Amino acid sequence: MMGKLLSAEFMKIKRKGIWFLTVLGPIGVVAMQMVNYGVRKEYLFRQNDDRWGYYLDNIHSFTPLAIVLGIVILTSFMSSIENETNAWKQLMALPVSKMGVYLSKFTVLSVLLLISSVLLLLFTLAFGISLDLGGEIPYAGLLKYSFYPFFAALPVLALQLWAAAVSVNQGVPITLGILGVILTYAGYALPDWLIWKWPLLMNDWEEPLINVLLGGGAGLILYAAGMIDFVRRDVK
Amino acid sequence: MEYIVRTENLSKHFGQEKAVSGLEMKIPKGEIYGFLGPNGAGKTTTIRMLLGLMKPTSGRIEIFQNDLKKERLNILKRVGSLVESPSYYPHLTAKENLEAMRKIVGMPKQRINEVLEIVRLTAAGDKKVKGFSLGMKQRLGIAASLLNNPELLILDEPTNGLDPSGIIEIRNLIKSLPSECGMTVLISSHLLSEIDQMATTVGIVTKGKMIFQDSIEAMRMFAQQSVLLKVSESDKAWRALLGRGMKAGLDNGIISLPQQSDENVAEAVRGLVEDGFSVYRVEEEKRSLEDIFLQMTREEQAG
Ligand SMILES: Nc1ncnc2c1ncn2[C@@H]1O[C@H](COP(=O)(O)OP(=O)(O)O)[C@@H](O)[C@H]1O
Ligand SMILES: [Mg+2]
Repeated sequence: MMGKLLSAEFMKIKRKGIWFLTVLGPIGVVAMQMVNYGVRKEYLFRQNDDRWGYYLDNIHSFTPLAIVLGIVILTSFMSSIENETNAWKQLMALPVSKMGVYLSKFTVLSVLLLISSVLLLLFTLAFGISLDLGGEIPYAGLLKYSFYPFFAALPVLALQLWAAAVSVNQGVPITLGILGVILTYAGYALPDWLIWKWPLLMNDWEEPLINVLLGGGAGLILYAAGMIDFVRRDVK
Repeated sequence: MEYIVRTENLSKHFGQEKAVSGLEMKIPKGEIYGFLGPNGAGKTTTIRMLLGLMKPTSGRIEIFQNDLKKERLNILKRVGSLVESPSYYPHLTAKENLEAMRKIVGMPKQRINEVLEIVRLTAAGDKKVKGFSLGMKQRLGIAASLLNNPELLILDEPTNGLDPSGIIEIRNLIKSLPSECGMTVLISSHLLSEIDQMATTVGIVTKGKMIFQDSIEAMRMFAQQSVLLKVSESDKAWRALLGRGMKAGLDNGIISLPQQSDENVAEAVRGLVEDGFSVYRVEEEKRSLEDIFLQMTREEQAG
């Protein structure tokens, strides 16, 4: 059943601007550094001998914001597909389980964000090479900075999906989303337990992997809670 | 009798409000069941429960003689539905809309063209639904409900928003389904005329309660016209008529002759005159189905 649901979901996101956003996100993040390095390349090169590492740090300064913003917009677009004409009732009257429907929405969003992450990796690598940063290319760092934020942001994804799927008034998930973006933006100054801070990959132990594991764990719990609530409720 | 749908004491409460209470719905196989009731009577709520979109507060639902709670997916494979205003994906074409559902119900691709043909939307198949008129959207919704070639078709006020010619088209389509495809149809409406022209069995709800459920013929019995006589000494006159072996009723000093031929009425009047009663007025009582429907719902409110 999942296969059928997923192929239907991918069909429905056509012409919604969803693919465009998926590509735009990573382009935006790298484009910021194109401007940054375009304007003051010499200055930036002088800041740190590890030019690749410094470049990746610069890239990563915008990734968390982009991914949280991306999650908010994508979940909102995604749920608007059913919310717009209240097609939930039509979808759920088909022989599909509610859990299956919820999982398919979550899976499509995860796949889109992973595609964004892959594109981020490719664009970061390509622009890095074109900058002629010198030295070895730090593939491990490149992978970390491209994929860790996605896993660290899974709780935000689970929360936004739940809010968008169960709210009759779409102002609720949008308000929650804006709040989340602000919290991520101000993440440096916030306590570690706030899930919106996690994509920053900062913690007291300076080990980004902790954020990945926390993100996966908390993401799973929030996902399960959201799905159970979605299944329990009457269809909108 | 084999029932396709059977509910037992079905109830749904929203807080204090009892949207549906103690509903016993019985839909025999092959019937077009007209589910009739004023706005807010609980038709949509009942239909949502039949489709598993809402959980009943209490009661049981059996469809195809299986418990809906346990066999929801297997039941829904054999059910097509259209609930309330039509749902669609405006950014997709009519064909893409149907394709998104076809992928899930798993019919051959050809079925999309077939259902578009049935509702006469073939020409608009490649147009985005965003630009469709309400009637076209409604027809697309009906096409979608037919995708899986269902054994039970549930349509909630399907002619809402259609123009008169569209209504006739849909009506003819629905009427042809039981004989041509062996379908059983549940169709709800707040308009008696609509049910009257399509249904073979009728269930009337008001305020969440079923107040009548029987064949359309049984319902029409209520509607048959009678002739009313206003006479002197109505009590005696009534007895005299009964004495002559005629069927007659007496209500508030008015004698009523149910379903009589012209000759019988003439004979009754002649008899009364011969017996020395004065006949003041002879009139036909106009009781349309609409009157009966109103009377039924009014009685329910009073009682
Ligand atoms: N989701 C809901 N929450 C609260 N009340 C509801 C809900 N759905 C329906 N109702 C109420 O239940 C009653 C029956 O509504 P409905 O089943 O839509 O009637 P009908 O379809 O016969 O017009 C109405 O009074 C309506 O306000
Ligand atoms: Mg209704």
